[in-house]
Amino acid sequence: MWKNYIKIAWRNLLNKKGFAFINIGGLAVGMASALLILLLVQHEWSMDRFHHKKDQIFRVMNRAEFNGEIHVWGSTPKPLGPALKEEYPAISAFSRFSTMDNLLFTVGEQKISSDGAFVDISFLDMFDFPLLEGDKQVVFKQPTDIVITQDFASRLFGSADALGKTVLVNNQETFTITGILEDLPSNTQFSFDYLVPWSYMEKLGWSDDYWGNNSVDTYVELNDQSDPQVVGEKIKDITKRHSNTEETEVILHAMPDWRLYSRFENGEIAGGRIEMIRLFGVIAGFILLIACINFMNLTTARSEKRAKEVGIRKVVGAGKMALVYQFLIESIIISALAGVIALGIVQLILPYFNQLIDKDLFINFTSVWFWTGLLGFVLLTGVLAGSYPAFFLSSFMPTKVLKGTFRKVNSKVNPRKILVVLQFTIAIILMISTLVIQKQIRHGKDRENGYDRKNLIYIPLTDDVKKHYGVIKQELINGGTAESMTRTLSPLTEIWSNTWGIDWEGKDPDDKTVFNRFNIDEDIVRTAGLTLLSGRDLDLDRFPSDSLAMLLNESAVKAMGFEEPLGQLVNDSDTDYHVVGVVKDFIMTNPFEPIEPLILAGIRSGNWTNVAHIKFNPSLSTANALANTKEVLAKYNPDFPFEYTFVDEAYAQKFESSQKSAKLAASFAFLTIFISCLGLFGLSAYIAETRTKEIGIRKVLGASVGSLTSLLSRDFVLLVVISCAIAFPVAWWAMSQFLKSYAYRINLDWWLFALAGIGAVLIAVLTVSSQAIKTALMNPVNSLRNE
Amino acid sequence: MIKLSNIDKYVDSKFQRVFILKGIDLEIEQGEFVTLMGPSGAGKSTLLNIIGLLDDDYVGDYEFEGEMVNKMKEKQRHALHKKEFGNIFQAYHLIDELTVYENIETPLLYRSVSSSERKSIVAELLDRFNMVAKKDLFPAQLSGGQQQLVGIARAIAGKPRVLLADEPTGNLHSNQAKQIMEVFAELNREGTTIIQATHAEENAAYGNRLLEIVDGKIEEDKILIK
Repeated sequence: MWKNYIKIAWRNLLNKKGFAFINIGGLAVGMASALLILLLVQHEWSMDRFHHKKDQIFRVMNRAEFNGEIHVWGSTPKPLGPALKEEYPAISAFSRFSTMDNLLFTVGEQKISSDGAFVDISFLDMFDFPLLEGDKQVVFKQPTDIVITQDFASRLFGSADALGKTVLVNNQETFTITGILEDLPSNTQFSFDYLVPWSYMEKLGWSDDYWGNNSVDTYVELNDQSDPQVVGEKIKDITKRHSNTEETEVILHAMPDWRLYSRFENGEIAGGRIEMIRLFGVIAGFILLIACINFMNLTTARSEKRAKEVGIRKVVGAGKMALVYQFLIESIIISALAGVIALGIVQLILPYFNQLIDKDLFINFTSVWFWTGLLGFVLLTGVLAGSYPAFFLSSFMPTKVLKGTFRKVNSKVNPRKILVVLQFTIAIILMISTLVIQKQIRHGKDRENGYDRKNLIYIPLTDDVKKHYGVIKQELINGGTAESMTRTLSPLTEIWSNTWGIDWEGKDPDDKTVFNRFNIDEDIVRTAGLTLLSGRDLDLDRFPSDSLAMLLNESAVKAMGFEEPLGQLVNDSDTDYHVVGVVKDFIMTNPFEPIEPLILAGIRSGNWTNVAHIKFNPSLSTANALANTKEVLAKYNPDFPFEYTFVDEAYAQKFESSQKSAKLAASFAFLTIFISCLGLFGLSAYIAETRTKEIGIRKVLGASVGSLTSLLSRDFVLLVVISCAIAFPVAWWAMSQFLKSYAYRINLDWWLFALAGIGAVLIAVLTVSSQAIKTALMNPVNSLRNE
Repeated sequence: MIKLSNIDKYVDSKFQRVFILKGIDLEIEQGEFVTLMGPSGAGKSTLLNIIGLLDDDYVGDYEFEGEMVNKMKEKQRHALHKKEFGNIFQAYHLIDELTVYENIETPLLYRSVSSSERKSIVAELLDRFNMVAKKDLFPAQLSGGQQQLVGIARAIAGKPRVLLADEPTGNLHSNQAKQIMEVFAELNREGTTIIQATHAEENAAYGNRLLEIVDGKIEEDKILIK
């Protein structure tokens, strides 16, 4: 029985190669894209779910109210972890996690700067980051013990054994390597090359017991009998109890939720990447559905050819279900063939896809789960694509089909037409989405950002650079390399600090407006090309007291309610700053959001600066300017490699994620259009074939090629027009929702819709008319002779 | 064996009811070889379809071996059809994508006959109709007569007691037609009940009973004596 089914399926494919090509090809492309998306979804889903204690581990988050809004954030005070463990028996372990950026590691001649973290000793017990070498229990015995990843070990020591060796860190401290970690899997949110024990932080004197300083991540492990809800309720007020001033609560964030449910609204989990995952899942489903619709349409369109077989089989004794099985098996065979091709396509495209989404996805061919999943996927596709044709074909009455008069009436509304409309509706919605997303990104890019990014770089301020800053600046400016230079708290494109704790004359005591901080030394207006609206830039040469001066941006002036900002005093952390200038708003963070109030405070002692911005001399080529800078820095900062970032590139980074989604949306839109057109092509070819006699007669009666072409194409184009009518309102709604997430956004112009609609119709006309013209050009003598 | 009482078959069009069969009363005993004759559109094929359980859209009673067919459920009727009937068509209606061997084998697949048994039944039939050399050819590679022989082989593969043939020689040359009719006669001698519809006078001579059908009614029912 099976052999018979498979044989006939195979011979049908061979007999109709074009049909088989369109069917299998379309299905393969659809399956490949769905597979890619599923790989991505699977990757996101597996994030940090490999830890065997994943149900017991929680991240402790802070929750507090500012200006009527409840905020939740992840950095917590350093004493929180130990206090939790000590006071609550339900908490069996804790580890803090505090990142360290750009430490310099020296092994012999080898110098590498790298990122890692301070952790508590139970870190490796709580998380499944296995040690290849070393003993988990003793790796953090001494403050100067260090555990490094295998990859970092080979960068430091090459192929030599690293365990037990010593390494000089930041030219200060010699660490002993006590453990080698397996490289971190790609599906974890943690990122570090090395771990050093908390005791080292204590040794450095960086650890503090101040409950108001939120600076580290805190993770806790509950013992397996505790109910997280109950524990969460108990520990809620721990910060308040330990501190008189802080009003933050702590809450527990479950490990499996870290990645997918990380957005909080009003203090509660409101979503996160799960929304993207769902959206991707839906898109994958749609693409697969569109490919399946091709299969359904082409199969049912060809039903006349199979009708006779159905009739015969019924007469010789086949029941309806036997026929349903036969056609289902046939579609599963086709879907299996398509699946094999899809797998090839996925392997081929995966590198580009990885580039697009900036991930490292791969197919694990050795995994049983993968093969079961693939099998299930093929079966699902086969059944999805085959069920409608199977029931449709198997319902034929043998007495009708065998009489030879069987002909499907081309009714006004039939399932085939509905399915085509469905395909094109989805395709048009995706086209409109692509256009809207592209336009929105362009809109953000074209937004005036308020500073001049040309020839502007920033460099990290290492200890040596800090020490020799004056000389470096002098050499760069006097040497003609730089026009100006300024030290700042953070790069121009980032905000590293904010506060609601500042004070000024006339402040409403209940006002908890959050101000962004940006410490500067001098010349920021000139260096960054800001627009000064009133007052002056900071200038330490002319006004030494400017280390206590402050600039405000427009929004800050508005938030503080100053009529005359110049000369006002603003108090931050018990220091009074006098306002000397107001700058026009400029975009530091999200280009799609309104600009937040910003205070640019001078560098009195204690105000940290971390980067220096350098404006190159425009008469110098960028390469020369960089080479000169490198030379100067090599002199004063010999231990660190020359690191720099172009501000315009950093700014462009802000658009990267939206650009990625735009590219993804565009690829999906293209794919759906492509697959839909493939189906339309097959369908039109088939319809043209069945109407050759009619066309022949019309031609003999004097119809022109043009009128015949339009006769054959008209129906299909009408379907696409109907699709537009359905797609427009849906797309309008969806895109309004999408744009709502951007404060700075475009209007949904009618022409975007018109463009997508006209595009779809045009593509459909091109697809269909080629077949129509071919048929219309046929010599009627040929098409009529065989009757 | 087969007993039809007062069978009506009609189609309703907008203003009138058109009868295809009207008041058919017919009894056929096992082992008979019945020929239905009459002009095109007289209702021969319709009657065959009703007898062969392929058409259940009629009024009246149909008794097969004492069981009321028109009261049966779809499933029972299907089982009965599978067990008792074989069909042969004017246009042969072989499955184009299957070889001679596979075409003959198909009905056995739907009867869950074991593989070895299938092989022996098909081999026997191929042998009987001298088609052993052609078993791997596709229908398109055979002459009309050969195709109809395959059609007959397929119809009798399931060992039905009744063979229904609708214009079995309509597409054939007279030589081929004669060969087919001789096969029918032989099958009838072996005990198979045969009901054929035909235009050709000479085919009727192979049977032992002749029914003239005109305008949906049995006009004449005569026993032929050889």
